[in-house]
Amino acid sequence: MSIGARSGLDRRSVLLLAALGWAAPARLLADGAAPLRLWSAASDREDRHFLIGFAVQEGALKAFARLPLPERGHHVASAPSRALLVSVARRPGSSLVLVDATTASVTAELRVPADRHLYGHGVFSPDGDWFYTTENAFNEPGDRSGRVVRWRVSGHGASAALTRIDEFPTGGTGPHELLLLPDGDTLVIANGGIRTHPSWDRDILNLDTMQPSLAYVDRHSGRVLEQHFLPAEFHQSSIRHLDANAAGEVVLGMQFEGAAFLTVPLLATHRRGEALRPLLATAELQPRLQQYVGSVRFARDGRHVAATCPRGNLLTVWNTGSGQVVQQLRARDNCGVYATAKGFLYSTGMGKVAELDLGTGALEELADAETLDLLWDNHLCADLPTA
Amino acid sequence: MYRLLCGWLLLGLTHAVHAQNTEWTAVNLAVTDAVVLPAYARFAASTPPLLAASEQLCAAVTEGNLAAVQQAFGAAFAAWQGVQHLQFGPITYFNWNYRLQFWPDDNGTALRQLDALLVAADPAVLESAAFAQQSVGVQGFPALERLLFADDSLGTLQKQPYHCAVVRAIANNLNDISTAVAARWRDEFRTTVANADERGFFESAEDATIDYLKAVVESVRRVQQQKLAAVLGENRAAARGRRAEAWRSDLSVPALRNNVAALQALLSEGSPALSSVFLPDDLPAIDSAFATLQQDLAATPDSMNAALADEAGYAALQRIHADLDALFELLEAAVKKTDLYLGFNSLDGD
Repeated sequence: MSIGARSGLDRRSVLLLAALGWAAPARLLADGAAPLRLWSAASDREDRHFLIGFAVQEGALKAFARLPLPERGHHVASAPSRALLVSVARRPGSSLVLVDATTASVTAELRVPADRHLYGHGVFSPDGDWFYTTENAFNEPGDRSGRVVRWRVSGHGASAALTRIDEFPTGGTGPHELLLLPDGDTLVIANGGIRTHPSWDRDILNLDTMQPSLAYVDRHSGRVLEQHFLPAEFHQSSIRHLDANAAGEVVLGMQFEGAAFLTVPLLATHRRGEALRPLLATAELQPRLQQYVGSVRFARDGRHVAATCPRGNLLTVWNTGSGQVVQQLRARDNCGVYATAKGFLYSTGMGKVAELDLGTGALEELADAETLDLLWDNHLCADLPTA
Repeated sequence: MYRLLCGWLLLGLTHAVHAQNTEWTAVNLAVTDAVVLPAYARFAASTPPLLAASEQLCAAVTEGNLAAVQQAFGAAFAAWQGVQHLQFGPITYFNWNYRLQFWPDDNGTALRQLDALLVAADPAVLESAAFAQQSVGVQGFPALERLLFADDSLGTLQKQPYHCAVVRAIANNLNDISTAVAARWRDEFRTTVANADERGFFESAEDATIDYLKAVVESVRRVQQQKLAAVLGENRAAARGRRAEAWRSDLSVPALRNNVAALQALLSEGSPALSSVFLPDDLPAIDSAFATLQQDLAATPDSMNAALADEAGYAALQRIHADLDALFELLEAAVKKTDLYLGFNSLDGD
């Protein structure tokens, strides 16, 4: 969930959506406590892929949409002002699926050109007029094949459309998550550093030379404003996932591609103009994270961060002030995570969705999540902002 | 168990969850007591003789003493193969798993680290606590195998007392780790497994059962891919014998036999056995696939190096590869018919 999207729902859009008969914002206006509505990509055991829309209500999960996807999804971006959601295919997929948020139905499916593929992430501009995807220009030589592609957004709901306009370099290769800083103009991009080519499936082609980086790019000019690299010894820590708090502080989640026994940071924080600040858990805990963070999200306090570790079967909560892990929770195959009023909601590839109360440490499993018999994919994403 | 679960579900969810936990716990404890604890005890018992033989070798580097250490290495390596597939619990503490065996090692990291250690020849780093802090690659079986089974091992050990001191340090380290892992399982982790339904290290008793089931299913695939596919290549001319797990000691085929025996034991020994999570109808085919695999392994030459050198031997190894593939397919299909998932995001790379 990007800051841009989170801050995008103003009173006018709420009224507009309510006028269109969309129920949740109407309830929001009525009592200020709308049920949380989220989207997530998911698969079933027959390897069919879906986009699932669900509400969290009275401790239970109520699915309101089960939309077939042409390939495995990853992240879902929302443009409240246009009642539009876009599901972005997981790498090396090529499809963008447009969903009318007022009816929770698919309205269009787009493909990126044959010499490009997606990385599962996209983000809207705050006004909903532009959409940005990270892509792989995989036939480009060298390690500068990462692209941000700009799409012009038009229409609303069922008539919303995306038009591919132009692109600019991400300053690296293998870009993954991107989001907008609170200024609304600066894209922050995780350049994973990993070069892949569809002809070699998902194989890493540059393990010895990979150079992941965090890049800040002006979304209007495409100019790289700032770029930061990890120390050379961590050059195999692929920067994949990001979140930003209201102050513009960024948290990075990484996946280490080097030797399994090495102690390397999987999380870092960053403020513009400063160096990256890698964070390590204790000597006992760090190896249990198994060199892999699946997603990162700031808590609503802007200070705590949840990092999901599906390989280590642990959900970790970090205090970005002290740099320490303050809570850890066994959660097999957990990956998707979303900041709630109480703490974090997380989803797992085992079919579970649960909420961790940050204050009390209590855990509440949502009823009915597992009866859907779905494997929840990498991210939990906002429907349209409700708070 | 599947039928029991269906019955319980009819009685209502609360009952089902409770009964399910009880049953998962029974499976977890039976597997732990009948299979896992004895296997770790055997591993712990295999390393003191290796340490003793190493000490004797360093006192007098003779052909006989070297042969005795090589034999003790074989026994300890075999016992390690009996627990190698258990990659959860105490073995993950302090990098114990990688310190015992950093393999596969595609970049030759371990041997580079061993060379550096031998060149520096610093006796202080061989002391037990200091050695545990050395590079992972010098601490375990691969480094020891290289010191004991090189073509000129006897001559080198006779000329270089420091090399023998490293042999002793590794044997001592293997003894320390195997003893500690076995003790942690026996004294602590058994209780953790027994109480897995009280959220803590595990999420539930079912969560612990999944770790055991993963150890079986994923290890069948790992053994097939790492220990055979990587060696066999596309055809015999493309075979790469030095990718075998223990080509210097030529213990790669015995290691496969130990792996398969251990995986079968993990799945089917104890009562209720881990295999009770499967539909009863799926068990005969799995048992029969294990039997075929065992027969074909028995018929394979003991020496993988020799097997790779002729058509019949290569074909025998290909058969093992195919048997493992068939077994994996059966296990995967059987898991799919249960309520258990082995992984989704954890198998991903995004």
